[in-house]
Amino acid sequence: MTPYLLGGMLDALRAWVLDPFAASFMQRALLACVAVGLTAPLVGVWALARRLVYLTDAMSHAVLAGVAGAVIVGTSLLLGGFVAALLMAGLVAVLLLRARVPEDGAIGVVGQGLFALGVVGVSLSSDARALSHLLFGNPLTVTTTDNAIQVAIAAVVVVGSWLLTPLLAVTSFDPRHAATVGVPVAVVDTLLLVAVSIVVVVGLTSVGVLMIVTLMTAPAVAARLLAPTLTASVPLAAGLGVAAGVLGLLLSYHVSLPTGPLVALVAVCQVAIAVAVTAPRRRRRSALVAEPPPTPQADHVAHV
Amino acid sequence: MTAALHVEDVTVRYGRVVAVDGVSFTIPAGQAVALVGRNGAGKSSLLRAVAGIEPAQGTVGVHGRPCHHEHVNAPVAYVAQRSHARWDLALTSLDVVLAGCRARGSRWWRPTSRERAAAAAALEQVGLAAVAGQPIARLSGGQAQRVLLARAFVQRPDVMLLDEPFAGLDRAAVARLAAAIHELCGAGVAVLCALHELDIARHVFGRTVALDRRVVADGPTRDVLSPRGLERLFIGESGEAQAVPVA
Repeated sequence: MTPYLLGGMLDALRAWVLDPFAASFMQRALLACVAVGLTAPLVGVWALARRLVYLTDAMSHAVLAGVAGAVIVGTSLLLGGFVAALLMAGLVAVLLLRARVPEDGAIGVVGQGLFALGVVGVSLSSDARALSHLLFGNPLTVTTTDNAIQVAIAAVVVVGSWLLTPLLAVTSFDPRHAATVGVPVAVVDTLLLVAVSIVVVVGLTSVGVLMIVTLMTAPAVAARLLAPTLTASVPLAAGLGVAAGVLGLLLSYHVSLPTGPLVALVAVCQVAIAVAVTAPRRRRRSALVAEPPPTPQADHVAHV
Repeated sequence: MTAALHVEDVTVRYGRVVAVDGVSFTIPAGQAVALVGRNGAGKSSLLRAVAGIEPAQGTVGVHGRPCHHEHVNAPVAYVAQRSHARWDLALTSLDVVLAGCRARGSRWWRPTSRERAAAAAALEQVGLAAVAGQPIARLSGGQAQRVLLARAFVQRPDVMLLDEPFAGLDRAAVARLAAAIHELCGAGVAVLCALHELDIARHVFGRTVALDRRVVADGPTRDVLSPRGLERLFIGESGEAQAVPVA
């Protein structure tokens, strides 16, 4: 390859990456994608570790009810979404604790119920197009105010994640022991659920409520495969989330397709790449497990 | 010698079933006591009740201070027989042991360098310094049990409750754990250890409490676990064998 040809390719790549951001609406979209790409996986790592992915998925559907309600009433969409997320958390808690309904049943009933309510709301709304943007994401419509909220929430989630990582680790591993040594398990659990709700609601303007779950889980899954430990996977997941957000936005700009699904597809591709990259390591480990070393057992003790 | 652990009239019920029936005893600081009995005698239920994680009637006190169910019980460390913990999570052994530091350190902030050093020392105490940074999912059953022991050690408790800690350990690990228990006693910790291995009880513990829902024997191990004592414990007055010890 001649230097001339290489230089031309680099110029084309630079133009492909940088030129879209000359427009101010793309700068706002970039900030939105970076903020959501950073925060969603930070929360998603712990949702995945605690097997709460179904809850986050149901919550992303339930938020539609709040968004539709906000459009009909003419109030803030973020506020409507957040109220719906809190309503869902409250209703699930009532079904779990009062009616003793199994956890997945309670989540399914409340999540799908609120989603159905949201669909009815969308049908009644005169602004169905705006609602479809919120479902599938359109960061090109992000305002400066949205950016300010996204950045503020990203800052809180990043600092909170750094502070709470050891507590989230011990409460995820053995909540009963954590409680006996005085760790405020219920408070940590509540903070995580509130963080999930906030990230879902804030993600609705950039990748859309239906895609935010992918951005919460896929980078977390990829990081989990690549990183040696859970705590090491936290910053890696955040990095992968930002990369998915930025690359998805660029692809969306260049091929004129919706941003939310493209961001989600990039995140899913990250998982596929992580699976392929770590395959040899898993094969080596399987081979080791197949031939375990002989373990001497205590044969000198008497058993009752 | 003052009583580090005071257990008075403790009763544990599961519905209509009485698992532990009015058990009372005290353990002075620095004493290691073996808790023996057949399967279903109530050993694990009693330990959980003393740890404060099993609803129970009666009184449990540590150095004269009462401990209550569902209250933070920092002076009591409990190592469960089968932990319900998530061993599939990719946490390191050090992460798990650091949880014990929460008993006396900050419950909110990140672990300090001193707490990290204490956790590493506790792992060394149970012979697992080499796996401090290794994910717990790769540990063997015996190693996992020792990680939980290290978590209890780092809690710096006044009372240590161990539920079948010797189960599945090889000879070297048994010797290391016995040495660790002696070390704890030297530091003034009262140790109550449920176990099935009677030879280990004879070698490691000076005192034995035999349980069959109630305390059926309490005294020097050489007396409680003498052939005559064992006959009384496991054959019973009726002469019907409940569980025969392998001598």
